[in-house]
Amino acid sequence: MSHLGTLISALIDGELAGAELDRANAHLAGCDVCRTEAAQLRRLKRELSALGEFDAADDAVTRRLLAMTLQSGPVAARPLARQPGRRARRRRGRYVMWSAMSIVVVGVGAAAFGMGGSSSGGNEPQITPQLEVFDMQHAITSGDVPFADPSSTRLPTPPTPPTLPKASKRASVRASLRPSAEATRP
Amino acid sequence: MNRHLGLLVSAVVTVTIPGLLAVLAILGHEHAVAGTEVVSATALGDESAVGPLPMAPASTNQAVRNSMAGVQRTSGLPVTVFSDVAAGQQAYAMRLLARAAAAGQATTYQGVEVTSQSGVDGTVTVVSQVWHQGGGLTLIRTTTGATPVVSYDTGDRSPAGVFGVTSAQVTLLGKHYVAAYRGDGSANGMPARIVDVYRFDGSLAARFWLDARTLVPLQREDFDPADKLVSDELFTQVRFGPLTERPTAATAEAPALASSPESAWVGAGSPVTVVASLAKRGVRLPGTVLVGLPLYAAAWSGTGAGQVTDLEYSDGLSVISLFVQRGTLAASMTGWEPLRLDGIRVYVSGHSVTWAGRGEVYTLIADAPPQTVAEAVAALPGGGQPGLVDRLGRGFDRLAHLVDPFA
Repeated sequence: MSHLGTLISALIDGELAGAELDRANAHLAGCDVCRTEAAQLRRLKRELSALGEFDAADDAVTRRLLAMTLQSGPVAARPLARQPGRRARRRRGRYVMWSAMSIVVVGVGAAAFGMGGSSSGGNEPQITPQLEVFDMQHAITSGDVPFADPSSTRLPTPPTPPTLPKASKRASVRASLRPSAEATRP
Repeated sequence: MNRHLGLLVSAVVTVTIPGLLAVLAILGHEHAVAGTEVVSATALGDESAVGPLPMAPASTNQAVRNSMAGVQRTSGLPVTVFSDVAAGQQAYAMRLLARAAAAGQATTYQGVEVTSQSGVDGTVTVVSQVWHQGGGLTLIRTTTGATPVVSYDTGDRSPAGVFGVTSAQVTLLGKHYVAAYRGDGSANGMPARIVDVYRFDGSLAARFWLDARTLVPLQREDFDPADKLVSDELFTQVRFGPLTERPTAATAEAPALASSPESAWVGAGSPVTVVASLAKRGVRLPGTVLVGLPLYAAAWSGTGAGQVTDLEYSDGLSVISLFVQRGTLAASMTGWEPLRLDGIRVYVSGHSVTWAGRGEVYTLIADAPPQTVAEAVAALPGGGQPGLVDRLGRGFDRLAHLVDPFA
């Protein structure tokens, strides 16, 4: 069964007449859906009509504003006048802000420069390394003998560090080795 | 006009100076980061992992090269694997060294050690009497100097090995070198098993003679990449078994070089955090690797002059201990020889080098070739005043640390 569709709004608005109106009413009588829709449309129309009755002139504020307009006549649009004092203040503020930022940045940079100079502001303790302690620690971690009192154990310093020629060492190694046939993996 | 000029100057200053400082700070930070960027758990993780060994180049010693076979992983990354024979040699040599490290601890012995080491200021030779109670401490009495001295640690610690053969060093050695069992021989007339240690380029890096019966090291030689002998350590006399001489007698007759009670060393759980905390203090170290030697341990100790940080770098053969403490060197450095090393004024004493730079005193003790020591000094913060970028970067670091001490 087809419903009234767009005809329903025409019906509510009173735009139907004659046979069309009769057919629409007959359909409404037998169709719950269209009847409900028609009722909702009527209610909506009533509410919209009520809103349309609002009169701006009744509003007190609006009335006062209108009165003021009438008293002073039409207001000509004009640009806001530039105020020299305000502009100067704004510029000064900006200047102060930039200056403050500069001072902060330069200050932080100077502080960093100063702090980066030395570990404790030039008040470092004067140290002679505790060689015996360090040497013992080195011996323990390396698993070797400590070089205690090295100042009295150093050989006369040659121009270049003397190192035994490896060839002679290898010769001694070879001499200590058994014949190659014996030098096999056991 | 004046107002415009003032505003212009202010704007220029405000834009230029922060920009300049930002650039300098970034550069400084990057410099710092470059120095310490490897300070991460992964860095050490990689080091501790048993990773692929580098490929042996064509110049490799033939015997070593022939025992290697390069293969491609499915990922395409080049790795080196050993042939069965070479892998067996390597595994056996590493087993011998590991057992030597354990034997050095477990075996009771006494003897006389002679150590000759090339340093940046000549060769130092030390003769020491050594007593070791199996499973206990080692007492070392150096007899070379005018007065014999006995070294011991107040924390009841002593070198946990003979000639640097400790379990920790052997583990590191296995990651950085190729060990090969060479065969049997003798050291100072005593039967010995010989283990050669090669670099990955095939050059000989070290040779160990291990007592055939106990496996305690009897002799060790180290060679630099130029094939020169840089360190030689051997027992001129050694006796295994119960001690026949009471070491306590030695302590009584000689002045003790012992650390003071407040200088006990406290090991750091993670060396990485130690380097990171030094970086926050403005001490910019090369990170977890120093001239190819990975950082493997760190410790702190309090001394009369303040806290000392100890960083230990080793590849299993060369060991560098770096001690960092705040301060500057004393005006009079008795017992130290002044020397200019890579443009840096340093003081040398035996195998120790010390210098001051930027409010810190660095003392480096090395069992390493002189060239490695010189490179290490050059890689570390040097003397003189810091440059502008360094200084600003360090200053900003410290300012940030003041604002947030926990950052």
